Amino acid sequence: MPVIGISVDLLEKGLIEKMDRDTLILHLQHLGCDVEGFAILRRFRCNRCGHIAEITETQEPPVLCGGCGLSFKDHPDQMAELDSTEVLRMELLAVRPDLFDPGGLARTLNAYLGHRVGLKEYDIEPPAESVTVDPSTQTDLCPRPAIAAAMVSGITLDDDFIKVVMKLQENLHWALGRDRKHASIGVYDLDTVTGPFEYTSVEPDALTFVPLGCNPEETDSAMTPAQILEKHPKGVAFAKLLDGFRRYPILRDSTGRILSMPPIINSEQTRVRQTTSGFFMDVTGTNQNIVNKALAVMVTSIKELQPDVAVQQVTVRYPDHEIDTPDLTPATMLLDPQATASLLGIDLDRDDVVRLLECMGHRTQVTEDDRIDVVIPAYRSDIIHPRDLMEDVAIAFGYHNIETSIVPTLTIGAPDPEQERAADVRQVMTGFGFLEVMTLALTSDQEAFIKMRLDEDPNAVILENPISAEQTMLRLSLLPGLLDTLAHNTNRELPQKLFEVGPTSHLDESAETGAREHLVVSAVLIDSKAGAADARSLCKQLLVELGRDPSFANASLGCYLDGRCGIVSVSGRPIGHLGEIHPEVLEHFGLSHPAAAFELDLSLFPR
Amino acid sequence: MPSLPAGPYEVFKYLCEQSKPVTIAELAGATNQDQAKVDPAIRGLVEQGWVELHEEEYEEFQLGPAGELFSDGVFPERRVAKALVDAGGSTDISALPEAAGMDQKIVGQSLRWLKQKGWANKEGRLVVATDLAKNLDDTLGADEQLVRTLAEVKRATGSELRERGVDLDAALDLLGQRGGFLKTKKRVRRTAQATTEGKAAWKAGIDSLREVNELTPDLLKNDEWKQVRFRPYNLELESYSVIPGKSHPFQRVLQQTRRVFLEMGFSEVTSPYVESAFWDFDALFQPQDHPAREMQDTFYVSSPAWCRLPSSDLVERVRRTHVDGGDTGSKGWGIPWKVQRAERAVLRTHTTASTIRALAQDSNPPRKVFCVGRVFRRETVDYKHLPVFHQVDGIIVDEHASFAALLGTLRRFYEKMGFDKFEFRPAFFPYTEPSVEVFVWHEKRKDWVEMGGAGVFRPEVTEPQGCRVPVLAWGLGMERLAMFRYDMSDIRQTVLSDVQWIRETPQCR
Repeated sequence: MPVIGISVDLLEKGLIEKMDRDTLILHLQHLGCDVEGFAILRRFRCNRCGHIAEITETQEPPVLCGGCGLSFKDHPDQMAELDSTEVLRMELLAVRPDLFDPGGLARTLNAYLGHRVGLKEYDIEPPAESVTVDPSTQTDLCPRPAIAAAMVSGITLDDDFIKVVMKLQENLHWALGRDRKHASIGVYDLDTVTGPFEYTSVEPDALTFVPLGCNPEETDSAMTPAQILEKHPKGVAFAKLLDGFRRYPILRDSTGRILSMPPIINSEQTRVRQTTSGFFMDVTGTNQNIVNKALAVMVTSIKELQPDVAVQQVTVRYPDHEIDTPDLTPATMLLDPQATASLLGIDLDRDDVVRLLECMGHRTQVTEDDRIDVVIPAYRSDIIHPRDLMEDVAIAFGYHNIETSIVPTLTIGAPDPEQERAADVRQVMTGFGFLEVMTLALTSDQEAFIKMRLDEDPNAVILENPISAEQTMLRLSLLPGLLDTLAHNTNRELPQKLFEVGPTSHLDESAETGAREHLVVSAVLIDSKAGAADARSLCKQLLVELGRDPSFANASLGCYLDGRCGIVSVSGRPIGHLGEIHPEVLEHFGLSHPAAAFELDLSLFPR
Repeated sequence: MPSLPAGPYEVFKYLCEQSKPVTIAELAGATNQDQAKVDPAIRGLVEQGWVELHEEEYEEFQLGPAGELFSDGVFPERRVAKALVDAGGSTDISALPEAAGMDQKIVGQSLRWLKQKGWANKEGRLVVATDLAKNLDDTLGADEQLVRTLAEVKRATGSELRERGVDLDAALDLLGQRGGFLKTKKRVRRTAQATTEGKAAWKAGIDSLREVNELTPDLLKNDEWKQVRFRPYNLELESYSVIPGKSHPFQRVLQQTRRVFLEMGFSEVTSPYVESAFWDFDALFQPQDHPAREMQDTFYVSSPAWCRLPSSDLVERVRRTHVDGGDTGSKGWGIPWKVQRAERAVLRTHTTASTIRALAQDSNPPRKVFCVGRVFRRETVDYKHLPVFHQVDGIIVDEHASFAALLGTLRRFYEKMGFDKFEFRPAFFPYTEPSVEVFVWHEKRKDWVEMGGAGVFRPEVTEPQGCRVPVLAWGLGMERLAMFRYDMSDIRQTVLSDVQWIRETPQCR
C-alpha cells in the first residue's frame, strides 16, 4: 500500500478538537488508518506546470517534474523550492478515498469524536454548463464511456491547496482508478475554457495540441495524440491504457480548445496557474459509478478545505440520456440494530447503534418497525451492503472496547488423516536420527530433471508467469530439494542425515483443478560411507513402523548408481525408490561424499 | 563398609600392620608396587586422615675413591704393623716397604696412623712396634669396619651402619681426617604411619577395590562390578556433541498451530495448490479487476491452464453477486464478471481457498474448520519475502458467531502460541466485513507487528454458498510467528535450511 503524507497544518486547521499527536495517532489507528509517524517534507514546484514534488529530508531533489516530465537538469530555473511542510505519514486505505486528504480526514475525525455528527451536506448549485458525449466514446472504437464533470469557483489558490488537490487526484487515480484505468481526473483553469464542452474521440493523428508541460512557444510543442503516446513522458507511461483503442478520447470546449486527452494528459493552455480562481474538473472512466464516486470525493474534500467555494453541477448529455454531476445524492440502507448487535456480539440497543452511525457521518431515522434508515454520504463508496454499516458501528464503538468471547457451541475437532500420517513419519524419521528440513515447493526443470539425470516428467505443474528461472514449476519429488540442502551444508559436520515429508504436485485429470498433491517422504544420508543397503534398511524400517510390509526389487533410475537402485512396493504396488546417488548427480550438486537416499509416495499406499 | 582401590588398600594394610613409620621405598617393596603409585595412594590416605606422613633429613654415606681401594677393610697401617712385628719388632724405615710388600708412598702415609693408633713409634731411623701391635688380632677398627661395610652395601645411612655394628662416631672421627675415603649426602626421608583414626578404621573393616574406567559386561557378570572402583570422571569438563535427529523448528510451529486448533475443536481440511481463480478469488467476492489477481502478484499456471468449475447454479449465484449483489442485499461491484477469468488455474494465494471450499461443501452450522498450508505469491526472494509461505486459515460457522467471538478466538490462539500482548485494528479485505488485523507486540523492535487478517465473511461470500449464519474467518501468517519465536531476521532461514542452525536450535522455547 502506498504511503501518503497528510499536511499536519491543514489537518489541524480542520479539527474541531485540538489534541496532542499521540492522541491523534491513536484515534486514527482506531479508525483503521495505519499511521507510520510524522515527517518533514521539502517541496519543489515546477514553474512550468505548477506540479509540486515532495521529498523527505534525506531524498535528493527531483530531476524530472512528476507532472509534465520537464528535466530540471536542463531547466534548473523552472524548479522552485518552497517552504518545508510537516506531514502525517500513513498507509493509504484504498477503500476509503474520503480519508486521502486533510479535509476528508478532519471531517471523519470531527464526527467520530462527536463534534459534528451525522450527515455532512454540501450546497451544490444546479448546472449551467454541459458536456455532450459523442456516441463514438460509447463503442469499442474508444471504450471509455463514462464521464462526470463539475465547476468550482471562488478558490483561494496557494501552494498548499494545489498540493492537496494534486495528491488527492493521484491517490484517487491509484485507489479508485486502478492507476487511471477505471477513472482519471482532469483539473483545468476555469477561466481558460468556454462551455459547453464535448467529450468525444478522434483518430490518433486527427489533431494536435500542446500537452501539459510543453512550451507553446517552442516549435514541435504541439503533438498529435499518437505522438504524445510515443514521445511525451506521461504519454509513454500510460500508453498501455489506450491499448486496443482505435480512436482516442478528447475533451474540448466550445471554441475547439483541447482540455485533455483522457486518461493520459491535459493541455498546457488550460492548466491551473497561480492566478487560477476556479476549476473545471472532469473524471472519465469505464463505469459511471466509479467516476461519480471519484468526483464526489474530489468536490467534497475541496469544500472541506475551502468551505466558501461554489461548486456547480455540469450536465452530462449522453446520446440517450443525461445526468447532472457531481451527484452527491446520499445512498440509503435499512439496518436492523438487533442484527447488528448480534453480529458484532456487542450489547447495543437501537439508540446506541443510531449514535454510533451518526459518529461515522451517517444520518439516521428510526422506522416504525424499529429498524434504522441510514443515509450514507456519497463519498462513502465503500458501503455496498448493510454489513458495511455494521463495521462502521463496530469501529465507532472501538475494536479496543469490545469484550471478546467465544462461540458457545461445542464442536469435536479432527485432524486430517494425511497430516497425521506425515506427523507419524516425522516421528519415526527423527527417531532414526534424521534431521527434518523444509524446502521450497517451487523448483525448475533444471533442478528436477537435468541435475537429477531424469527424463522430464510430463505431469509437472508449470507456471505461466514464473518470477525466476529457478522457480518455474511445482516440485514432483523432494529428493532434489534434499540434495540442494546438502549442497548448502557441505561445510557442516558429517554424517548428515536429512529428510523431508510434504506434498509434491502432479497433473491429474481426475482432479477438479487438474492437479493433485501427493504426500511424499524422502530421506538422504551422506557420509564417508553411505550405500544402498543403508537406504534399504531405513526405508524398510520406516514402512514397518507405518504398519506396512514392503518388498524390494532391483531397478534402474537415472539418479542412482546402476546396480545400486531398487523399487519399493507395498502389497504389490510400487510406491517409491531407493539407492546410491549417482556420482554425476553428486557432482551436479557439488557433493564430494557418497550419499544414499529413498523416496516414498505415501499417497499411493493401498487402502 | 568403606572401601579402597586395590593399590591404596595394600599400602594402608601394610601401614596398619606396622607399629613404626615406614618409608615410601619400603612400602613400595612391601606392597609390590611402583613408588609412583604409592605416592598418590599415600596422599589419598593422608587426605582421608588415616595416615600421617613424616619428613626427616638424614645423611647417606658412600665410599670415596680412596676408600674404594680398601674394600676388604684392611688399612695400610694394619699391614705395616703386622710386617713390623714379623720382622722382630723394629726395622729401619727404609726397609719397611720391602718388609710390608707395599708401595713406599703408602707406607710413608701410614706412619702417621701407626703412631695415632698406638701401634708403632719412630725412634731415629728405626720404627719400633708397640706392645699393642704385638697383640693385634684380625679384629678391624671402627674406621676399617665402616669402609668394609660401605664396600658391601654401596650406600647406607648412619643408623643402618650402626645396626651393622659399626662404631660410627669413632669411625667418622678417624676417617674425617683422611681425604677421599667417604662421601656424605643430605637426604630427606619420608615415612608414613597409620594414625589412630586410620587404625580404628582398619579394625572396623575396609574393602579392597580394583579401579576401572568402564563398566563392562564382564564386570556385570557375577556382580564383579561391586569389587571394583570406577575411576571418577570430571563432568565439569566439556564432552563431545550429539548430532540430533529432530523436526525443523518451523515445523514445530506449524504442528503446534494444528494442535491448538484441534484443541479448540476445529476439524482440519486441505485443498489443492493448483486452484481455480473461482475458489481463490471469485467465491471470496474479490472483484475480477482487483490488483491482487493480476499476473504481477499471482502465479498463473500454464499446465494445467484451466480448472473445472463447480455447479453452474453456484457459478451463476457468484456471478450475479459480483455484478449487482444478486440476492445478497449488496450492490455488488458493478462491473462485468467473466467466467473465463474464474476458470483460470492459479497457485492458491491464501488458505482461505481451503476454508471457502469447506464452507461450500457443508455450510450447516455448527462447523469449525482450519487449514495450515503453503500459499504462493509472486514475490522475489529477499529477507522479508518468499514466493511460497505458510498460513493458517480458519472459519467458524455458527448461529452464535459474532465479531466479538472472532476476536476472542484469535486471542485464544495467540495466547496458546505464547503471545500476551496483542491489538486488534480495523482493516479492509474484500471478503470480510467487519474486518480486523491482528498486531502482536515485538519487544525487541518496540513496535506492533501485523500477524494477519480476519473478519466475518461478507454475505456476498456466504450466501451464494447457501449459508445464512455468520461465518468468522481468518488467515494468519505462520512464518512471522516462527520468526518471532526463533528470533530470526531473515525469512529465508525457514526454507534454505542451514543444517547447523536446525541442529543447534532448541526444540522447546
